[in-house]
Amino acid sequence: MKKSLYTLLFLLTAFAFAGHAQCGDDLLKEALKEMGSSQYIKDFTIELIKEKKDVKTGYIKFSIFLNSNTQYKFNVANGISNVDKVVMQLKDKEDTKVLASNLYNGKTFDEFSFVCRKAGVYNLLFSFKGGQEGCAKAVMSLVKQMQ
Amino acid sequence: MLKKFTYLTLTLAGVFLMTACGGSSNKGGSSSDELTFNDSLANTAPLELSQEVMSDVIQNISSPVEMAALIKSTGVEFSQRILNSTNQTDQYNTSFKRALNLGVYSADLGYINTFDKNTIVIDYLVAVKSLAEGIKVGQFFDFNSLKRLATNSNNLDSLMQISISSFNKMDSYLRSQNRSNVSSLIITGAWIEGLYITGKVIEQTNDENLIKRIGEQKDIINILEIILKNYSSQPNFSELADQLGNLKEAYKDVKITTEVGEPTTVEKDGKLVIIQDEISHIEITPEQVTAIIAEINALREFIVS
Repeated sequence: MKKSLYTLLFLLTAFAFAGHAQCGDDLLKEALKEMGSSQYIKDFTIELIKEKKDVKTGYIKFSIFLNSNTQYKFNVANGISNVDKVVMQLKDKEDTKVLASNLYNGKTFDEFSFVCRKAGVYNLLFSFKGGQEGCAKAVMSLVKQMQ
Repeated sequence: MLKKFTYLTLTLAGVFLMTACGGSSNKGGSSSDELTFNDSLANTAPLELSQEVMSDVIQNISSPVEMAALIKSTGVEFSQRILNSTNQTDQYNTSFKRALNLGVYSADLGYINTFDKNTIVIDYLVAVKSLAEGIKVGQFFDFNSLKRLATNSNNLDSLMQISISSFNKMDSYLRSQNRSNVSSLIITGAWIEGLYITGKVIEQTNDENLIKRIGEQKDIINILEIILKNYSSQPNFSELADQLGNLKEAYKDVKITTEVGEPTTVEKDGKLVIIQDEISHIEITPEQVTAIIAEINALREFIVS
């Protein structure tokens, strides 16, 4: 009885620490490292968890302002427990048109660059294929200003 | 003994589970905010826009760091003279002024970092520290680490990243604590300072790219107007919104048109590059540029004086 209680406590604690490392600052550090030489602008935390009533997770959306004649990079670092990589979609303000995505030709990339030619408000959406649960950190950075 | 150990471990596990899953939820915080201040920025009046909508709107303000990078790309020399002097901080003795000028100094810091001017970085970090503490958000800036990074020119990229990240965290915190009014002032101050620096460089260089960038900020004014009008029951906000109204008027005849081109997606060395299909064009006359810069200067004077 004592032994199984210790095991349970050990597992609980280990899970708690693993969860922290998986979706916490270490993941952000990884994303920042992958950002490379671009100029950091902001980061996003993605944590999609099914509620009791849900069959699958949805998406998380962030509004951003992009300037014209500017190349931006969006890169992600996925949590180690993710079944699949997170899908990023850059959409217009009205959410009607996908302008860019890291899902291309059936392959999910860890980053994409977007050359913005029209200044304005855009939406950045994150989701997991099949509505699975998962976490990730994403970084938006400035690659260059086009002259 | 075992019972005590069990409780302790379960508590620890619970705490870590909660922190591991805590994140970027935009839900408004309902817990009491021990950092709420008692002066002119206490947020009591009913808002026309909800805190959630405000959060979305505030996130849409363009980063002054991008403006600084564009200025650097023109090849113009760095000028400390155009920045807000760090001797001014003591005269900002209301939360309204502190929040606005925290934004101003953050934009100055972005400009300084972009030009790698580490000799004056510390003065501006101290100014940021003083104002951030004045509105009780100093906890988001690890000033010892920032100062350490600032004294080594090899660490300027890290300094820039940590500074911006600290501002982003502070902004998220303020919004989660229903202090979007403070957040909106910081962002307004930073945006105006970015435009002010750009205006000064335009006066010197007449650079076409900078003029275009100034022109396309027209959309931001509408966003800022929504934000500030939301708090117009507070006299200071109302005055600031009026000043912004003058700037909006100067922008009135600037035309932004859109042409639809061909979108392009290129995959090279395992990396994706997507070129947007829409292209915007800015029509702005030299007279309009002069009028806009004059209004920016007046608004900036209102903020820093």
